[in-house]
Amino acid sequence: MAKVKVATVWLEGCSGCHMSFLDIDEAIIDLAKVIEFARSPITDIKEFVPVDVGIVEGSVGNTEEEEVLKELRAHCKILMAWGDCACFGGICAMRSTFDKEEVLRRGYIETESTYKGKIPCPPGVPALLDQVKPANHVVKVDCYVPGCPPESKAILYALNELLAGRIPVLPSDMMRFD
Amino acid sequence: MKEITLTINGEQFKGKEGDTVLDVCEANNIYVPTLCHLKGLTDVGACRLCVVEIERERRPVPACTYPARDGLVIQTHNEKLEKYRRLILELLFTERNHLCAQCVASGDCELQSLAYKYQMDNARYPYSWPALPVDPVNDYLVIDHNRCILCGRCIRTCDEIVGVHTLDFGYRGWKDMVVADLNQSLGQSSCISCGACFQACPTGAIFSKSSAYKGRPEECQKVSSICPICGVGCKIEALVKDNRLVRIDSPDLTDNRGILCHKGRFVPLDRKYERVNTALVRNGRGKLESRPLSEAINIAAKKLAELKARYGNNSIAGIASSQASNESLKAFKEFIAGAIGSKLIDTLDGDIYRTIIQGINAYQEKAGLDTETSLEEILKADCILVAGANPLESHPVVGVYIARAARQNKAKLIVIDPTQNSFAYHTTLWLKPKEGKEALALSVLTKAILDKGSKKGSAQAKKIASSLKDINVKQGSEQVGIGVDALLEAAEILGKARYSIIIYGEGILQHKSPGLITSLLNLAAIARSQSTGKPRIISLKPKGNSRGAWDMGVANPSQSIMKNLTGNGVKALYILLADDYVDTSELPNLRKGMEFVVVQSSYLSSSTSKANVVLPSPIWAEVGGKYNTLDGVVKSTSRLIKSPDGIKTDSEIFREISKHMKK
Repeated sequence: MAKVKVATVWLEGCSGCHMSFLDIDEAIIDLAKVIEFARSPITDIKEFVPVDVGIVEGSVGNTEEEEVLKELRAHCKILMAWGDCACFGGICAMRSTFDKEEVLRRGYIETESTYKGKIPCPPGVPALLDQVKPANHVVKVDCYVPGCPPESKAILYALNELLAGRIPVLPSDMMRFD
Repeated sequence: MKEITLTINGEQFKGKEGDTVLDVCEANNIYVPTLCHLKGLTDVGACRLCVVEIERERRPVPACTYPARDGLVIQTHNEKLEKYRRLILELLFTERNHLCAQCVASGDCELQSLAYKYQMDNARYPYSWPALPVDPVNDYLVIDHNRCILCGRCIRTCDEIVGVHTLDFGYRGWKDMVVADLNQSLGQSSCISCGACFQACPTGAIFSKSSAYKGRPEECQKVSSICPICGVGCKIEALVKDNRLVRIDSPDLTDNRGILCHKGRFVPLDRKYERVNTALVRNGRGKLESRPLSEAINIAAKKLAELKARYGNNSIAGIASSQASNESLKAFKEFIAGAIGSKLIDTLDGDIYRTIIQGINAYQEKAGLDTETSLEEILKADCILVAGANPLESHPVVGVYIARAARQNKAKLIVIDPTQNSFAYHTTLWLKPKEGKEALALSVLTKAILDKGSKKGSAQAKKIASSLKDINVKQGSEQVGIGVDALLEAAEILGKARYSIIIYGEGILQHKSPGLITSLLNLAAIARSQSTGKPRIISLKPKGNSRGAWDMGVANPSQSIMKNLTGNGVKALYILLADDYVDTSELPNLRKGMEFVVVQSSYLSSSTSKANVVLPSPIWAEVGGKYNTLDGVVKSTSRLIKSPDGIKTDSEIFREISKHMKK
């Protein structure tokens, strides 16, 4: 049987969800027999190819992230969100209560350690969105593994459910938002 | 009450008339999710999580406010209701800024637990991301409006349980938020920092600075005890992690002796004073240096034995703080009377005791402290007279009873105090006698009630009347500086009261005049509607276990030993402070004329710095003990944490010194 193709993207997040995935220990050996990674920070492949499962870590806070997420959605059959950022906005969304300009000014000019700061601007760098969005506010998301980061066992549970042909919904005792 | 029968989820259940649908469900162990409901509070149906379907109702209704009726057919769980509940949760999460990973309440949050239960792994609605303030000004509490779900539990607790009603809703519609007073910062409002709102809050919107990030409940051990700090004797439930107090809650906010105040809820969590961790002995150069406890005990015992042999037993006096437990005080009394053999023993609040007991005895021979009434009587009263006391400061839970009686029971509140009145919102009448004229003011008021003649005359009342026969209300009111109209109004209120109670405290006791206490008792007796039975009166005592120390006879009932120590040939003092922080303002002339001073204390202070030997005491949370509440009930605390290494109990120290003195 052909291996299940998986692509993962790491948007506005800390990579903690990918770390938590790698933390499944020896289960990764069995998993490697049935899935293969295409575009992913793990493989360092940058190009999108059609895959069975797309996985998104991180929220959407700028135009590039928005584009990458849409690309991923276009290339995958099932899209799974990992972590609080992708599911709800998470820590990154703390900036959403502030004005975008205020956030940039604080970050690039007013920071105590900054000398003669300058706000970087497009087209050199992607523009910030007014507010940080969870993945399902940008594209259709099929399943979610919340947590900051999600526990390895929750990630493994969700992957195994997918491999068994079911859309995973985490049981209550695996749910966590922190 | 009439019994009713309801059909819930196809089964028949019994309830009582007057129950809500939720009451019946809870009584029969049928789970219905709730957020804005809290036992003991009026239900308001704010969150809609408890919606149920009832036959012949067009739409789901909240179970918490729907009156149960005979024959109702109710559905608590079906696909539609569960869908609605999850939808409500998603709306709550998107309305404000609920980001669990950065929230202090994560892991101890009812909103989060429900989201887990309903497997809410995403939110479909647009986030509002409102920019909301955080109010950190209060000493103990922070209000983070970002996490508020407007359930109103804090507001109802503040109003119905605490009676202070600092919190309420402000603004309208989607700008609605919890505000203190007229939208002040909590720290500048009428808030008494009791923390009941913090306990009632289902999310992290109100949290305590003292507990934040110290540990989640599931990581902690839960221990039940009693708070011994002010003498009300509130029940507490402490969370302990790694031998540290993480949080103190009330086991039941609806229990009157479980409301708690900042002193019981927050103060024990933060270390304010430096501990005495080892014994200290004054060395040859006059400096205190730390020594092993056994050595310090030996030095103290040797010196005490020497002084006793040279100057006699009564050259050593013992003074105790009434903050110590009954066990410590009993051991201290035995130590001073036994091993030392001295008759000179007193408590720091001995003068207060003598003032009260002599005042009571002048009112009625040998009546004793049992003349005083139980604190719960305040909640039954229709007229409360507060004389020279600031209970919201000194005994906050007593203040809560008074505020509740005034707010909820419409009790008339009369304050007699020249300078302070912390019940500004609740007071019917504030009489301000000139300083030093309090006793006369009380007598004039008593006379004014007698003049109205609305009370029956018992023998006691006749005795009081004859003692006041020379007083003229009009002249008296001028002398004390209170308008005659106000005095007559107070007399009218007290005279008509069905259930009056008098509470007095520091402002009265500071005068150290037994006559004032007698005047208060006379007033209480005359104000009683029945001519039999005892007058209802309560004194707010200065320390947490004052009543215990006084009941056990540690305080000398007839004379102060402190007045003329050197004149009476006292050469040494043994001072038991236990976990009371006492500086030299309470113990003036500590060293004057003394050859040797031992201070046994949990905390370093200006008092310990004057001692020749300082011995460490454990704090109340480190040993279980008995304490008498200010209305005379014996309560037992339990041990919550371990003492620092090498600290012995007060009783063990007294036993060892006694042993060494015999050598």
